[in-house]
Amino acid sequence: MSQDIESGMRAALRPVAPSDEFSQKLLAQVVADPPARSKSFRLVSQGARPLGWWLTASLAASLILAVGIQQHLQEQRLRQSGLEARREVLQALQVTSQKLNLAYEAVKSQSTSLAGEKPGV
Amino acid sequence: MNDAALDLLDEYLAKARSGERAALAVLVHAHQRSVYSLALRMLGTRDLAEDLTQDVFMQLNGKLKAIESNKHLGFWLRQVTANRAIDQLRRRSRVQMTSLDEEHQLFSAEDDSDPLLQRHLRGLLSDLSPPARAVLLLRYQEDLDPLDIARTLDMPINTVKSHLKRSLETMREKISGMQPTRCEDHST
Repeated sequence: MSQDIESGMRAALRPVAPSDEFSQKLLAQVVADPPARSKSFRLVSQGARPLGWWLTASLAASLILAVGIQQHLQEQRLRQSGLEARREVLQALQVTSQKLNLAYEAVKSQSTSLAGEKPGV
Repeated sequence: MNDAALDLLDEYLAKARSGERAALAVLVHAHQRSVYSLALRMLGTRDLAEDLTQDVFMQLNGKLKAIESNKHLGFWLRQVTANRAIDQLRRRSRVQMTSLDEEHQLFSAEDDSDPLLQRHLRGLLSDLSPPARAVLLLRYQEDLDPLDIARTLDMPINTVKSHLKRSLETMREKISGMQPTRCEDHST
């Protein structure tokens, strides 16, 4: 009886695929997201004190200009990177289903022996 | 085990680690079914499962450099998915019930076993505590042995065996007695 239940569990718990819509969104999102983003930086250190109003104003203006240019360049880079990522995703999706099925089967067959290898990251 | 396929996935992992996004897409595609199924059967609804699946793969993006092999990747994904699902369930006072329109997703359409038995099993599975449910899913969905389950869930091996034994005993009793299980309530 226990064996029946175990085989019933195996049959009932076969992995199911997510919807195509979700799968595509997931791929696009994961692939488009850069692995490591630098945290936001401070423009002026908290302890800094301006010598005079004009000096502060000109410094602020220069910084704003510099940051603006940098942001613009970064946006351009991100846009380009996004387009590149999109191209790569499309390329990836062109990988034959045969290859992906092969990969999935490999993952399944590997599962029984993997956990001991690396107990976490 | 197909060595060529394993080599292929390890090759994709190496490429993904060096920043090749197409390779990352292949890895996500290869593992998403396992992660999604685990999340779905732990949490019980498609929306929650999709959210968790997305979170896990987004987290992977930042951890990619630390992943050393495809085996390690599979282990890491299962570990993070199961533990995050357990945390979510513990935060909820009651397990969210599965609605009828999502019921078909909890089980594969490919199997030809008794649908009534599956219905009972679904009810019994969702009645289990989150850790016990994770143990059963890793055992019967992912085909892990008790030692691997213990490592994945960071749980003593005897606890894993105990969960398996008690859960199966309960199921055997309820199913052999043909008692109406709480799954009837869950599906309404």
